[in-house]
Amino acid sequence: MKTKTRLPMQGIRFADFSWFGAGPYVTRLFAAYGAEVVRIESNTRIDGMRWQAPRKPGVPETYNISGMYNNFNPGKLGITLNLSQPKGIEIAKKLISVSDIVLDNFIPGAMAKWGLIYEELVKIKPDIIVATMPVMGITGPYTLWRGFGTSIRTAAGIDYITGNPDRPPIGTGMAALPDFTCNPYHAATAILAAIHYRNRTGKGQFIELAQFESTVCWTETAILDYTVNKHIQTSMRNRLPYACPHGVYRCLGEDTEVDYCAMPESEPDHRKKDDRWVALAVFTDEEWQAFCKVIGNPPWTKTKKFATLRSRKKNADELDRLIEEWTIKRAAEKVMMLMQKAGVPAGVVNDGEDLQTRDPQLKARGYYVYLDHPEAGRIAHDGLTFNLSETPGEIRRAPLLGEHNDYVYREVLGFSEEEINQLTVEQVLD
Amino acid sequence: MSKAKMNNAALDDLRVLDLAGPMGLYFTKQLADLGADVIKIEPPGGDPTRKIGPFYHNEIDPEKSLYWFHFNTNKKSITLNIESPEGKKILKKLVKKTDVIVESFPPGYLDSLGLGYSALKKLNPALIMTSITPFGQTGPYKDFKASDLIGLAMGGFLFICGWEDEPPSRVGGSQAYNIASIHASTATLIALYHRDITGEGQHIDVSMQQCVAHSLQWVTQMYDLQKRIMVRSGRLGVPLQECKDGWANFIALFDWDLLVDWLKSGGGAADLDDDKFKDMDYQIRPEVREHITEVTDAFTKSHDKKWVCEEGQKRGVIAIPFNNARDVVENPQLVSRNFFVDVEHPELGKTFKYPGAPYRLAETPWKIKRRAPLIGEHNNEIYKKELGLTSEQMALLKGQGVI
Repeated sequence: MKTKTRLPMQGIRFADFSWFGAGPYVTRLFAAYGAEVVRIESNTRIDGMRWQAPRKPGVPETYNISGMYNNFNPGKLGITLNLSQPKGIEIAKKLISVSDIVLDNFIPGAMAKWGLIYEELVKIKPDIIVATMPVMGITGPYTLWRGFGTSIRTAAGIDYITGNPDRPPIGTGMAALPDFTCNPYHAATAILAAIHYRNRTGKGQFIELAQFESTVCWTETAILDYTVNKHIQTSMRNRLPYACPHGVYRCLGEDTEVDYCAMPESEPDHRKKDDRWVALAVFTDEEWQAFCKVIGNPPWTKTKKFATLRSRKKNADELDRLIEEWTIKRAAEKVMMLMQKAGVPAGVVNDGEDLQTRDPQLKARGYYVYLDHPEAGRIAHDGLTFNLSETPGEIRRAPLLGEHNDYVYREVLGFSEEEINQLTVEQVLD
Repeated sequence: MSKAKMNNAALDDLRVLDLAGPMGLYFTKQLADLGADVIKIEPPGGDPTRKIGPFYHNEIDPEKSLYWFHFNTNKKSITLNIESPEGKKILKKLVKKTDVIVESFPPGYLDSLGLGYSALKKLNPALIMTSITPFGQTGPYKDFKASDLIGLAMGGFLFICGWEDEPPSRVGGSQAYNIASIHASTATLIALYHRDITGEGQHIDVSMQQCVAHSLQWVTQMYDLQKRIMVRSGRLGVPLQECKDGWANFIALFDWDLLVDWLKSGGGAADLDDDKFKDMDYQIRPEVREHITEVTDAFTKSHDKKWVCEEGQKRGVIAIPFNNARDVVENPQLVSRNFFVDVEHPELGKTFKYPGAPYRLAETPWKIKRRAPLIGEHNNEIYKKELGLTSEQMALLKGQGVI
């Protein structure tokens, strides 16, 4: 692997107006690969992520210690700018005139209110790429609807094909899947494609990513199943039509005590680490034979009920029960190792502690990155998800609120000391 | 929009060879829908993912898989046995004119065939090779087998999904594969940017497990900062309202007065107009939430979910309907924006509605020009027209099971 002398996106600058989760997750990627991402924040309109739980206990509460903010914004530059002042908007335009990409995830109309729309911005930077990530889209009867990652998932139909269909439809619960997957990564893909097009033609463009539409693309074949077959898919729980057994099985609990928590602010819940599970996925007959051998070829595996995929599917409830009788006496890691050694797809259902302290694969790959933060101390960051052999990325800590005002206003935009003082007095740089 | 603009495509200068299995399907679909010339290389007889349902009219047939249709729009298909000596030769010929090659074989497999990155880059130094595997090219689990479910499990997403009194529950579709795919897309386009500037290709190593672990909201911080393990939260934190015809996701936390006014206009807010409910810390206590839900349920149960959400949003309540596929296809917002696109299937004599653009690029629109390919549909175009094979050579290769 090459040394990190030059990150691949160096020379690309973002004027990043986005906030909360889905927008900052876009520029998180670009910052890791060297783009200069200037996050435009304001004391008058704090990014909600800066006050979100969790925070480290015992650390003085400021806007700089939020775990999520610090994990969503590594490697970016932070400036404060008050866009409710005309001079603030002028400065924003000045920044855009030396930027390559403008990003926002506001409700439609917010950027227009400030005059920061593509039609205006292209006048000050002809090859600008402007990307916006409204929830529902900049047009249409629901354009002003508000929603979060969790509710977008519900609207898109993913929750309908998830979980236990006999209970209220919780989908993936509080895990806001679209905020950290399809929406930011679709946006990043579109921006990168637009950059490539600009490299070829010199032309910028306007990109709209409606989070609702982007998420419907991940409702996958449930859409075609309806438009083609008029069939409304419901949840298959953990099962699949073409694999059996295919599910999650309880394993032996552990004696160590842990603190489980359902919501970031919920009361301590210290108990034994007994929430242990293994996922098993048997697709082929060879895998089924190997699976039977691992569990010691008990007589029931040789009965007609479980001889073929079709018969196993038919008797899946009983099969799952019999398998769990075996797994529950064994540690999840042990089951995984035995199965994998025999060529059966299997995996520990890793919890937050397993991911960071146990999983030898993530450790060997150096996935989590621990960095010192001036206020929060040494903290964990999600790392890189892929290795680029010639141009590896790098995780650097997130900015404090307004940390890079000096660099951006002085060096990037060329304001003099007096000008900066004046703008500060006028609370434009607030 | 002008016609010229309709035909512009962001990636139409790219040739992509796609050897990947299900982990790469959505990745190369993205490239193809943005204009890249993606050639899916199927083993003779057809790709195994063609066996995955649902199927057109439930007819199990490799040319009728809706899974295949969905994920392979705009791609071309050739059949090729890359393990045979002739197959290797043909692949190497194709690689010379390829920008991106995508694969998801177990680490070391292509090397064992003499088709690994180090061999191929000698033929084409600007080549970008994107390898997507469950756990990456290195590390103790690199040879482990996985599936979508295993990816969700090992990446930590599965553990936080479901009811507190049930086993962890997977998310519908194949979202671990999609997540791996979409990270591969950005990785490849970053490498492409580097190539635009320097002319240099490279090898990309994508780990599905890492991609999933990157999608966990607050799991990393909860453990790192407070040594707490996020666990399945069931209905807690999922503000569901029961409506006459289904459910709505209903977030009124920030708009308490608006909610209370609305309830009063529709039959009664009980004691919810007490100021103590405006305190978020109070509001999120389980027993308080339960009480609030009782009051609001009584109201929403007498209306259908569409009305509840349209009226609620008008009043500033974040209300979102729990939609099934039909609701989505008929959704007024998606319909008014012409989100769904018609794709012709001449062999079936039908046109189907597909999910449309995940992103709208004004200058270079996302577009489905062609349905997913039939098995080996482009053998003639690629082998004869492009590589100059004769009909006799083609017949011979077919006889040898190469194509």
